[in-house]
Amino acid sequence: MYRRFLLTLWLLPVLVMFFTSCVEETTPELEEEKFARLYDDNRFNESIIPIDVAQTTDGGYLVLAKRRLPESHFTGIYLMKVNSRGEFEAAQELDVQYVNPVGELMVADGNHYFFCMDELTVQTHLVRVSENLEDIAVNPLQAGLTYPAAASLQGNEFLLLSYDHMEKLSVLSLVRPDGVVTASQGYDIGVGDEVDEPIINHFIGGGKKFPFQTGRIPGGAYFFNGFYNYTFSLVFTDLNSEEPMGVVQGQHDDGGFSAVLPIVSTKFAAARFNFGDNFLLPNVVLPPNAITSSVDYPGNTLPELVPNATVKILRTTIDGTQTLVFASETRSKQIALLFYDEATGALLGSHYLGFSNPFEVASVIATEDDGLLVCGTAYLAGRFPRICLFKLPKEELAEKVRR
Amino acid sequence: MKGLLLIALVSFSLTSAFSQPGGNKSGSRKKNRVSYMTKDRMQREENKFLEKQWWLGLKGGTNLTKAIVTKHFSGVSPANYPIADALKEYEDFKSYGSQVTLEGTFYFRQLSLSLQPTYSRSRFVYSNYYAWSDPENAGHSLELHYRQTQKTEHLVIPLLVRYDITATRLRPFIQAGAFAALLINAGKEVTISGTDYASGGEHEFSGDPIIVGAKDLFAPAFYGLMGGVGAHYHQGNIRLSLDISYRYGLTNIVSPANRYGNDRLAGVGDAMDDMTMDNIVISVGCVFPLRFLGNAYKAVDNK
Repeated sequence: MYRRFLLTLWLLPVLVMFFTSCVEETTPELEEEKFARLYDDNRFNESIIPIDVAQTTDGGYLVLAKRRLPESHFTGIYLMKVNSRGEFEAAQELDVQYVNPVGELMVADGNHYFFCMDELTVQTHLVRVSENLEDIAVNPLQAGLTYPAAASLQGNEFLLLSYDHMEKLSVLSLVRPDGVVTASQGYDIGVGDEVDEPIINHFIGGGKKFPFQTGRIPGGAYFFNGFYNYTFSLVFTDLNSEEPMGVVQGQHDDGGFSAVLPIVSTKFAAARFNFGDNFLLPNVVLPPNAITSSVDYPGNTLPELVPNATVKILRTTIDGTQTLVFASETRSKQIALLFYDEATGALLGSHYLGFSNPFEVASVIATEDDGLLVCGTAYLAGRFPRICLFKLPKEELAEKVRR
Repeated sequence: MKGLLLIALVSFSLTSAFSQPGGNKSGSRKKNRVSYMTKDRMQREENKFLEKQWWLGLKGGTNLTKAIVTKHFSGVSPANYPIADALKEYEDFKSYGSQVTLEGTFYFRQLSLSLQPTYSRSRFVYSNYYAWSDPENAGHSLELHYRQTQKTEHLVIPLLVRYDITATRLRPFIQAGAFAALLINAGKEVTISGTDYASGGEHEFSGDPIIVGAKDLFAPAFYGLMGGVGAHYHQGNIRLSLDISYRYGLTNIVSPANRYGNDRLAGVGDAMDDMTMDNIVISVGCVFPLRFLGNAYKAVDNK
């Protein structure tokens, strides 16, 4: 008995030394790898809804958001800079003359760019923002483009979709960072006042929002997701003709694509909506030279998503696997991340963000450390829309997609 | 886990106590031998008993906790007001916990070396306060109060040196040493309450608490120093004890890698600070001698 007790007596200090060697310490790397932040603004009447996020050269993040303007039909512009740990650094509210900020938040010449419009003239302006928000320049485009709806970076130029309310045209343009429009083509949305009503409502606060988008098949045709021929459609074009190369038609304003990501040639990752239902298509062939309908592409139905859900698609590599990340929002007001194998279209895993308060997705990007940053709206106290950021480390992502 | 631990502690204690020389059956035989001992031999045995002894026993009691922040973290990052307004307010030494301890002590000439593995449950509370208002309309106002209770369970393993100040029947002592605490389990409870002035009047509300398992949010182990005072009272073969100790945590009790690992808590903007944990520990118990028991389980100790 005594020997046993003595053995125990000597064994325990050894164990103590072993365990005390495992001290938990916070490191800068840990703080950057994973965080979850809600950016509060204590103004009761303020609504800040993020649009897009981009990583800056210092490892931090720049967020483009829209904010409610009490005396305007349109939304104002809000910019926020946080550091690599997600800690708030600075914010800027642009003059209320400038409204309707439009993503993407694009990087060119070491600056960040996005489009907005003048509240009175509805003319499109290009905004250049330095990373620290100390230098912000707003310049009108030389061409009289109105109602900017979506933009993306294509090489060294911006591919802008705008709406010409006078001629009732969806206009796709290439814009240089200095504001010069190098190419532009309009596409007829149809005749009649009721045709452009949903488009104008999209720009007005509180109206139904459409997933306008622009892009380009690598080395191939340009495309935009917008109104054409009375229907919310995916339109392919070479920008040389007012007749599209091909169209995937939606269902008036009740159906169409909610997100499109070209992979290669005619292969796409996409999501579509149809009278409230949502379908994810991680591996779909869309012919850019034909006229088809979005209902021709069935996809995976996801009843858990809110009707006509916002969907963002990111192409990235996780744990050595080329992966498509679909980010959307659920009926339980969480942000859902669904991971698909790019090669096969098979679901690899899922992850849900946000509890206790309602959350909506705005954007998802890959970070320099191979993690993911999810930007969204958190309704603090269930009622105040504010920006939220979730940073997920690569190790955690690997666990999500590992089978 | 908790049950197994308790059973193990109690079994070890009882086994040790009843496996000593000098049980009831052999008591009568030894009684005769003792009666023939010379006075010198008795004195020598008595001295041996007093000078060198093993003690084993159980004690239990309550504890109070203070969390000491070493680095602030917050899931809520203020964009238009000072970050100091979003910091947590801690309640120090206000929430009661409990502990049960198996004490094994080697005593030698008023000095003791004591190993006291302890199952310890601690609680500490912090709060956040948020408010939204409109300077132009006093009615546009909402206040929210988040009260977060942390409940931790650790196996604390202290190794203490104790000095008996006197060698009397009532022996006051002082003790000091170091400890390691191994996490067994943890949980968090968040209660959200507030006052809404914007929905037609002053309306106070509170929601159902969010209760989550939070073992991953805490460090698997931490260590520190401890010291305290107390007293033993000799009653027959046993010593009754009362002691008050202060456990001074030296290392982080939080797991930095998992700070944002609980989505339910991240959703309400909770992120635990880096912190150490101090405890005031009050215990009562009794210990049994393991050597030189005499007749009828009676110690050869006249004091």
